[in-house]
Amino acid sequence: MLRRKSFLVCILSVMLTGGFFGVAPVFADGTLTVSSPQDPGNWDPIDTFLVNWASVSTNIYDGLTYRGPDVKLVPGLALKWEDLDGGKRIRFYLRKGVVFHNGEPFNAEAVKFTFDRLLGDEGKKGPQRSNYAVIDQVKIVDDYTVDMLLKNTDPVLLVKLAGYGAMIVPPKYIKEKGEDFFNANPVGTGPFKFVSYEPKIGIKLEAFAKHWGGAPKLSRLEYRFITEPSTAIAELQAGRVDLVIPPTIPIGMIPTISANAKLKVVSVPGPTVYALRFNTANGITKDVRVRKALVMAVDRDAIIKSILGGQAAPISSFQGALSFGYDPTMKPVPYDPKAARNLLKQANVPTGAPIQIDVRNNDATFLEVNQAIASYLKQVGINATIKPYETNYRLNDIVPAGKTGALFQQSWGGWTLDFDNTAYAMYHSKEKWNPYESDPKLDALLESQRFITDRAKREEILKSIANYATDNAYEMLLYNLKAIYAINTRVKNFDAPPDSRLRLTNVSVE
Amino acid sequence: MAEFLFKRLLQAIFVVLAVTLIVAFAVRLTGDPALMLAQGAGSVTEDDLVRIRAALGLNEPFLVQYFNFIKGMVTFNFGRSFMGGTPVATLIAKALPATLSLALASLAVSVTISIPLGIAAAVSRGKWLDQLIRILSLVGLSFPNFWLAIMLVLFFSIFLGWLPPSGMTDFSSFIMPATTMGIILTATNVRLVRTTMLEILQAQYVMVARSKGVSEWVVLYKHALRNCAIPLVTYFGLQFGGLLGGIVVVERVFNWPGMGTLAFDAVASRDYPVLQAVICILSFLIVFVNLLVDTAYGFIDPRIRRE
Repeated sequence: MLRRKSFLVCILSVMLTGGFFGVAPVFADGTLTVSSPQDPGNWDPIDTFLVNWASVSTNIYDGLTYRGPDVKLVPGLALKWEDLDGGKRIRFYLRKGVVFHNGEPFNAEAVKFTFDRLLGDEGKKGPQRSNYAVIDQVKIVDDYTVDMLLKNTDPVLLVKLAGYGAMIVPPKYIKEKGEDFFNANPVGTGPFKFVSYEPKIGIKLEAFAKHWGGAPKLSRLEYRFITEPSTAIAELQAGRVDLVIPPTIPIGMIPTISANAKLKVVSVPGPTVYALRFNTANGITKDVRVRKALVMAVDRDAIIKSILGGQAAPISSFQGALSFGYDPTMKPVPYDPKAARNLLKQANVPTGAPIQIDVRNNDATFLEVNQAIASYLKQVGINATIKPYETNYRLNDIVPAGKTGALFQQSWGGWTLDFDNTAYAMYHSKEKWNPYESDPKLDALLESQRFITDRAKREEILKSIANYATDNAYEMLLYNLKAIYAINTRVKNFDAPPDSRLRLTNVSVE
Repeated sequence: MAEFLFKRLLQAIFVVLAVTLIVAFAVRLTGDPALMLAQGAGSVTEDDLVRIRAALGLNEPFLVQYFNFIKGMVTFNFGRSFMGGTPVATLIAKALPATLSLALASLAVSVTISIPLGIAAAVSRGKWLDQLIRILSLVGLSFPNFWLAIMLVLFFSIFLGWLPPSGMTDFSSFIMPATTMGIILTATNVRLVRTTMLEILQAQYVMVARSKGVSEWVVLYKHALRNCAIPLVTYFGLQFGGLLGGIVVVERVFNWPGMGTLAFDAVASRDYPVLQAVICILSFLIVFVNLLVDTAYGFIDPRIRRE
């Protein structure tokens, strides 16, 4: 009798205590809380390449140029720039009256310091340097003018100056406090300044009223690192998080979010494209007819509609519609199982021929897509088995060594939204991601556009590369995934960036 | 006693060294941290990767790297995380208390529920209460902890809005994670308490105490429980070790900033220093807890103390 009673009392008191604490709405006036899936661990622009670094740091730092959600390049810390010496020298005229968050003035010295550091010993330790290796040095002309000398022309450089390693850092602060301190206590010229950082938990920023672009509407900006998608969405539903950024949200949870009157889903075309690349060196996929047949056998539109809930767009080359080099006249290969069967017959492929599709083991959605693909292939007489690989193993041992199955997963998409980034890595001989193809004609095309600054000419070449690749059916192009954001309706003026580089100056909360 | 402790300490050191050596070796077979760091960088060349590897200290032979790690361990300098260069000691200083407090809270929840329930089941053996408790414990055993965690969040955070869905903030944030782990542990513990109590309740001294008129409460909680303490303490101590491992899933669902989250992220990004340090500390903890359990016997049972 006593035991039962004490047990009940025990449980009741636990429940009541929980209720007593409750969960008060967490909104302080003008605070936006963002859920990011990963803690980059380091806020120094030269030490990381993670997308989730930029989701936070695009608020803390500025680059010489700026590229927002509309994908247009505009002045940042540089008011204007001119190409000199045939494109091998770029003169930047810097913005005046800009200060860093610690009061230090922004000027030519800060720009020189930033690039000396990026290209020098400190930068050598990190993954950012190689992206800017075309820069030879930065010379100070006067307090507000610098010359950037290049080893070669680089048509994508101006875009790259808008983010990541090229973001401008404060010389005095870093020299005084040291590199380690700077990693955990960043200072920049951006619209939000650093307040505090707890590793693996979150980072807090507050508005920097003296920003050259005008004071932000929010007073505080907080990021919480929440890896597990269902947890992030639970926090959003409970009202403790206002914005969940990609790639957290699984397609399957979109109806749950949309059904909630206080929440909405915002999706924009993202930079990432998915494909199954072919093993063009071994097996039945060595024959281009077989490759074309396999592409025609799969109804990619149906997959996008049903498995991806429409949250993707079909592609005609290995890039999205926002990519520079995208050819709008190219149409995706049509779904035609009959023509596929004919081609397979012509190529003497026996019915029931087995092939292997290699995929990553941590992408549940893509696995579903592949199950659909396997069943489409079965309908034209190909028996596909799906083999999941752990990411690192695939990255290191399987793909570069050319040990993949007939098809292997490849998703790509750089924030620069320039086809060169993908095409060179995928199609140029001896690149890590291209273990099978070695085509001198294609190599020449790829190399020819790397240094041309004439945008129109470059675009033509990139388009011709796209056509060449599709004609040779180097991959089964699948889709361009949308970047999916989930947001509380109290957040106003949120312009969803396709590349997760959030800049929240104009955002406000009710 | 001192000799006993010394021997156990040596054992502990040996176990920790063996575990860390195996883990350090195995993890180096599975991929390149430099590549993980540069993931997404389209223009990283082999030269850059070589340079990054040198900066991370990966160019040294394995035994040199391992020796440096052991050397650092002795001075509590666990190196720096590959992902961002944060000193590993800083990460662990934050994560270890978080995991330990959650583990202790879970154990506390489990003990608080399982002892009264187990005793109730033992006392009402064969009757409806006993059956009910045994069925409930079977159901509890069958819950996958991941599912239970999400259900609790759905009900208490989203539907009722009483508790925070994730994160380690105040006392209320402990409730759901500790309950999730606690319920799963309770399922086994109830049965253990029941079985042990059943045995003890047959003993003659229990009959004597009852016939002397001692209150049932004192008979059960003072005399009988103390005598079944040894198997219970052993099992709870062993559970602590298992808890530390199993807590990874709960930490992930509740976004708990503990050792589980640290280990999970370290494995995914091939962050050797963090992974080695976490495994090292966790193995040491498990061995230490087992040592405590063995020492505790002496306090519970004076006969062992005298041996």
